[in-house]
Amino acid sequence: MAGVLALGPLALFATSAQANPLNPTATTRKNSGTPNSNIVVKKNGTVIKYGDKYITYSAPSSKLDALGQALFMENCASCHGTLANGVPANGVVGAYPDLVGLGPATIDFWVASGRMPAKDTTAVEAPRRQAALSPQQAEAIAAWVNSLQPSFPYIPDPHLKNANVSDGAALFALNCAACHTIEGDGDALAMSTFSPSLRNIPAYQVVEAIRTGPANMPRFTGNLSDKQVNDLTKYVTTEIQHPNNPGGFGLGGLGPVAEGFVALLLGVGFLVLICYWIGERT
Amino acid sequence: MSEQDEHRTPVSLNGLSADDPHLQPAAKNPATVEVVISITFVLGTILVAGFGAAYWVNAKPWILGATMGGGLFILGVGLVAWGKYLMPRGPFVEDRHEFANSQADRDAFAAAIVERGGSVVKRRKMLAGLLGGGLGIFGVVAMFPLLRSLGPLPKGTLFHTDWRKGSYAVDQTGRRVSAGDLAVGSIMTVFPEGTQNSDRGQAVDQTVLIRVSNQRFTTQKGRETWAPLGYVAYSKVCTHLGCPVGLYEQQLQLLVCPCHQSMFNVTNGAVPQFGPAPRPLPQLPLYIDSDGYIRAQADYNQPVGPGFWERG
Repeated sequence: MAGVLALGPLALFATSAQANPLNPTATTRKNSGTPNSNIVVKKNGTVIKYGDKYITYSAPSSKLDALGQALFMENCASCHGTLANGVPANGVVGAYPDLVGLGPATIDFWVASGRMPAKDTTAVEAPRRQAALSPQQAEAIAAWVNSLQPSFPYIPDPHLKNANVSDGAALFALNCAACHTIEGDGDALAMSTFSPSLRNIPAYQVVEAIRTGPANMPRFTGNLSDKQVNDLTKYVTTEIQHPNNPGGFGLGGLGPVAEGFVALLLGVGFLVLICYWIGERT
Repeated sequence: MSEQDEHRTPVSLNGLSADDPHLQPAAKNPATVEVVISITFVLGTILVAGFGAAYWVNAKPWILGATMGGGLFILGVGLVAWGKYLMPRGPFVEDRHEFANSQADRDAFAAAIVERGGSVVKRRKMLAGLLGGGLGIFGVVAMFPLLRSLGPLPKGTLFHTDWRKGSYAVDQTGRRVSAGDLAVGSIMTVFPEGTQNSDRGQAVDQTVLIRVSNQRFTTQKGRETWAPLGYVAYSKVCTHLGCPVGLYEQQLQLLVCPCHQSMFNVTNGAVPQFGPAPRPLPQLPLYIDSDGYIRAQADYNQPVGPGFWERG
C-alpha cells in the first residue's frame, strides 16, 4: 500500500495525460515540464526521460543512489534530517524544508548552483556561490532523494538551437523582469530577500529555476510551454549574459543612477579642465 | 620691473601706440598658431558637413553624435585658441563713463512729465474696456483647446473593466487557462478573452492569477467562493500609480509593486502591508466551468488602479 502511495504521482503521469488537479506540483498542460509530453521514454514501467524537441528532462541515473545517500548524510542531513523530510522551521520561512517529492531538478538546482550546503543556515536567503559539490555529486544527491519518492520535474536539457530569441525577450519582459530587472541583474525584494543576477548561470539551471521556483521565485510550470521556456533560456544565455552595449560600457546595467554618476564625474571634470584652459592667462 | 611684468600691467587703449607689446598677439609664433587654428577649422568644417551628410543618409545615432559633437568641439577649440593666442594680449583697462545723466537732462525730463501729464495722458475708458473684452474672450476661448486637449471624458470607463460574468481567462497569446494548468506557487498574467491584444485590455484588464493552494481558498470574509482550487486573481494595476504588480514572492505570499515597493498580502485579499499603495488590489471572483476552464463570476466589485477625482 505504501509503495502504491509513493508511486502515486508517477503512475498518474505515466498512465494518463489528465493529471490530478489536487496534486500541488502537477499540470495538465502538455509539454510544460511534466511527462504530458511528446517524448516519454519508459524502462520497467518507470519514466526515465520525457520532453519534446525543445527541452528533454532526464531522471538522474539510479546507479548514483548509493553515492548520493553518502553525500546527503555528509552534507545535508544535519539540517534536512536523515530521511530528507526536514525539521521544524523554527519560525524561519522555508528553513530546513522537507525535500521528499520535490523532484530531481529542485535538488540539483540548489546543490549545483552552490546555494546548498548553505554557508549560513540561519540566513534569510542562501546566495549563489562557488559550488561545494561537483555537478555529478549534485545529480547523485538528486538521484537518492528521488529514490525516496519519485517525482518531477527531472533534470532538464534545453536544445537552444531551435529557440527564438525575440519571443524569449518578450517573455522575459512579461515574466522575469519585474524581479530580476530588465537587464537581468537582480534586485532587492521584500523582507531582506533579493532576486539574484542571471549573468553567470548555465542554461540547464535557468530551466531548473523556471520549472521549480526556488525560494521566493514562483514556479512556472503550466503557464509556460517547453518551447517558451527554451526561448526564454536562449534569451538569458545570449542577450542577458552577453549584452550588446551600444555605449561601450554597461556599468552593471544599473540604469540612470550609474550613468548619471559617470557623466557627472567624467563630463563635468572634462568641462572644468576646458574652462581652466579658456580662462588661463597666456 | 622686468619687461615681461611690464607687459602684464593693464593699460588704457587710449593713446596706445601700434607697436605697443599689449597690442601684439600672445603667441610667440603667430604664423604657426594660425596654421594650427586653420587646421582645426578645416577639420571642424569637414565634421560638421559630415554630420549633414550622415543626417541625410540616416546614419546610426553614434555617427550623428560623433560628427556633430566632434565638429562643434573642434570649431570651439579653434575659436578659443584664436581668442587666446592671436588677439592682442592685453590686458586693457577702460574707465567707466558716468552712469547718471547730467543735471540739466534730469530737470528737463521732470518738467516734461509735469507739463504734459495733465493734458496728454488721459483715461480712455472705452479703449480699456475693449482691450479687457478682447483679453477676456481670449481667456474663455483658450480654455476650450485646453480642456479639449485633455482627451474625451472618461465617463464610466474608469469604473469598469472588460471582465464580465463568464469571461474566460486567457494568457497573452489568447490561450484559455484550465484549472489543471498551474502548479501551486505559480503565477501568470491573464486577460478576459478577446482583450489580450488591446491597449485597454493590457492597461486595465490585466490580472494576476496565482495558485496559492490546491483547494478552495478564502482571502476575506464574504469571498468564500472566489478562489476555487486555490486560484486567486487580483488586478495587476497598482492602486498607487498604476504600475503592473507582477512581482510575486511565493514563500512570503507577497505581491510587490516594482515601482515603489508596495507590498500586498496575497492570502489576505491583497491588503497593502507596506509602501505607498492606499487600497488593496481588487480581487476578481472566479469559478471553474464544467470543461475545467477558469472564468470570471463577475467584473471587479470596485474600480481598479489608482484613485481618481470621481471615485470619491
